[in-house]
Amino acid sequence: MNILETKGLYHDFSGLAVLFDVNLQVQEGERHAVIGPNGAGKTTLFNVITGTYRPSRGQVFFKGKEVTGARPNALTRLGMGRSFQITSTFNRLTAFQNIRLAVLSKRGIRFQMFRKVDGMGDITRETDEVLKRINLDRERDMPAGVLSYGKHRSLEISLALATDPDLVMLDEPTAGMSRDETHYAVELIRRLTEGKTVVIIEHDMDVVFSIADRITVLHYGQILATGPPGEIRQNQAVKDAYLGELEV
Amino acid sequence: MSPTAVLYVAQAIHGLAYGMLLFLVASGLTMIFGMMGILNIAHASFAMLSAYFCFQVLLMTGNFWVALLIAPLVAGICGLMTERFLLRTVHKQGHLAELLITVGIMMVILEIVKAGWGTESLVVKIPQSLSGLLNFAGLTYPIYRLFVIGLSIVILGIMALILFKTRLGKIVRAAVSDADMVSALGINTPLVFMLVFGIGIWLAGVAGAVAGPLLTVFPGMADQLGMDAFVVVVVGGFGSLLGAFIVALFLGELNAYGIQFIPRLAPILMFAFMAIVLALKPMGLFGERE
Amino acid sequence: MRNKLHKWILWGVVIIFVAIFPHVFGIYYTNFLVAFAIFSLYAVTLNLLLGYMGVLSFGHAMFFGTGAYATALALRHIQGFPLLPAVLVGGLAGGLLALILCPLLVRVSGTAFAMLTLAFGQLIFVVALKYREVTGGEDGIGGYPIPPLNIAGVVSIDMTDKINFYYFAMTVIMVCLLMLWFYTKTPFGSLVVAVRDNAMRIDYLGFKLPQTKAVNLIVCGAFAGIAGAVHALLMKLVSTVGVLDINTSFAPIMMAYIGGVGSFFGPIIGSGVLHILEDLVIRFTERIGLVNGAIFILVVLYAPMGLVGLFSAAKAKWFPKEKVS
Repeated sequence: MNILETKGLYHDFSGLAVLFDVNLQVQEGERHAVIGPNGAGKTTLFNVITGTYRPSRGQVFFKGKEVTGARPNALTRLGMGRSFQITSTFNRLTAFQNIRLAVLSKRGIRFQMFRKVDGMGDITRETDEVLKRINLDRERDMPAGVLSYGKHRSLEISLALATDPDLVMLDEPTAGMSRDETHYAVELIRRLTEGKTVVIIEHDMDVVFSIADRITVLHYGQILATGPPGEIRQNQAVKDAYLGELEV
Repeated sequence: MSPTAVLYVAQAIHGLAYGMLLFLVASGLTMIFGMMGILNIAHASFAMLSAYFCFQVLLMTGNFWVALLIAPLVAGICGLMTERFLLRTVHKQGHLAELLITVGIMMVILEIVKAGWGTESLVVKIPQSLSGLLNFAGLTYPIYRLFVIGLSIVILGIMALILFKTRLGKIVRAAVSDADMVSALGINTPLVFMLVFGIGIWLAGVAGAVAGPLLTVFPGMADQLGMDAFVVVVVGGFGSLLGAFIVALFLGELNAYGIQFIPRLAPILMFAFMAIVLALKPMGLFGERE
Repeated sequence: MRNKLHKWILWGVVIIFVAIFPHVFGIYYTNFLVAFAIFSLYAVTLNLLLGYMGVLSFGHAMFFGTGAYATALALRHIQGFPLLPAVLVGGLAGGLLALILCPLLVRVSGTAFAMLTLAFGQLIFVVALKYREVTGGEDGIGGYPIPPLNIAGVVSIDMTDKINFYYFAMTVIMVCLLMLWFYTKTPFGSLVVAVRDNAMRIDYLGFKLPQTKAVNLIVCGAFAGIAGAVHALLMKLVSTVGVLDINTSFAPIMMAYIGGVGSFFGPIIGSGVLHILEDLVIRFTERIGLVNGAIFILVVLYAPMGLVGLFSAAKAKWFPKEKVS
């Protein structure tokens, strides 16, 4: 089953076409990478899928239901998660408080005003478990804003994962990371997304080829090719577009 | 000419005069916001300060023209000092801190004025040369109001010339649009900020000094003028001089006719209008920046 | 565990202080403390928007004043309107006003929010001024009866007695403050604080942002209305200047800032400071506005985190915690 599907997706900004007839299919359980040069429209595609924008034309289907133009919070509640290329956490809140928000949302606790949140033991336990899994348990009570870059990125990614989504959209999760940090992040992502579907935008080809089951290449807002890594590596059109960048 | 027509024309002139005054005040306010991101709550307070200075100079010299010249300049210098020593210091704390400091400044100016001149209304007499009525085309026009309109047009004309025909004006317009970029180009933005703030205050000062005879000089002067100026800036668009001009004249006429014919409804209409514009177009009718 | 004991002792002292206050300090200061308490509650509601949710309510007096007028009108026009409902009606009016304005207010933030609330605040001020038949215009509404407190139809406590009223008012306000303090500790409260940091991410985490903002706005409006209601009962006179004017809107902002917008108690401390200051300064000069304005400027310039912030900084300097490894 295709957990995510777009049909004839177009999007323009003030007349400038950024997405052009994008028909993306993501199978349930697969790890799907979206690659392409800067300006190809990758983040815009993400934005349309995750509800930031309503597409100018076309449809988006999630778990078989049409969700075109649905708001981000509705999509999250349906089981979609999204992380951001530019770290977007709650910087004055502690790492613990950041993750706890996601846990509260997962449990549907959105307007609860009759208990002290600190007294909710199961919430605290679950949050601490998440922190342990992403190795931020020692930084539990540090404000997110003072975390080191790598740890901050980990927090960013796990905010998207802590709502336990079925589909995870990761926008350049390893952006700005060193070689070691990238290895670490990839391991983390692999571990945390077991059994989930992942769509990941990436520039780092090592990451792409080590994680992806299938790759979609985006070029000037259009899908150039879709297929398993081996196929994409051999694809002439892709090679021409990248001028050999895919040599790994 | 029928009495009703005379009334309509008289109101139109009142409205135009008040609208011009509003524009003088609002133009500085909108440029300051557009360029520095500061919503100067104390802007009309400086206008009021200038009105009091005008009264004082008039008292001391007996010459209205001298007072009209000096008062706005002194107010403008006060503005420069405020920017240099107060606003610049809180700039790094963000827009909220800047806004709040202007609230404090507004309160202080109010008290200074009350301490210096008391709480009673002061009368500033229209000079002989400008008093009386002018007869033209069968209608009568109060000369002072015509003077206000004329002076405003002259000053605004000069401002427009400087803004659009000189290099300094180009820099200022660019800074209103994108201060960071201008700074990156090597231009001394703090100096430009201070200058524009000072001139914005000076403009408000001119309005205040000239408004003295019309509105009478009293500590509550800043309230009405200030609120109206905000409505002009908000509705016209932050950073937009054209928007400020159109809305200021519109508001001036609305006030004049409103107070005459629908006194209870007029201020409500004005605020309701502002609230609606803000809700639909938070940047104002002609505004673009945030 | 020591901390908990300290806290209980502190609250014990506060409660005893409040309980014996009128008998020690006399009538004048009794009213003074009630006024301080009213504005503490009022300022806390403003800070729940400013410090917690990150928006500046620039016309906050509209909630306070609407509450005050609602109480005054109810007591004036409805024979035998009881005491507690009179207070609740003020809260209801404040909350209702917030509810009506919500559709517009939740869509904006930052300067636009400040301007919108300023506009509405002024609008309501002008409406109250102009529609004299209802509000009494500048003269306001006065001479309404202060009903006694009827407990279960068994006991009736006369509220025209200043000391009785003092206990009633302080109880109401302290209960409200307790409720609001608890509110900030709930899951919803933790959500509201997050809105200030990153409203967008709240949306992506699955929360409904507009509704969240709306609920907080309504809570703040309602409790500000209750503060207004108690004010109406204290002053026995409600007029536009005093409950709806721009100075009444600025007061809680100053209090929150001086005390510290980053903490729940900041506005209460700020209210205390400003009230004591006003009481002292009035003896020497009428220029209380000058003192207030100057202090406000100084606080924004040099102590933006307020007194609470200064205290925290001093504590960190002289009693540094163990470093996190």
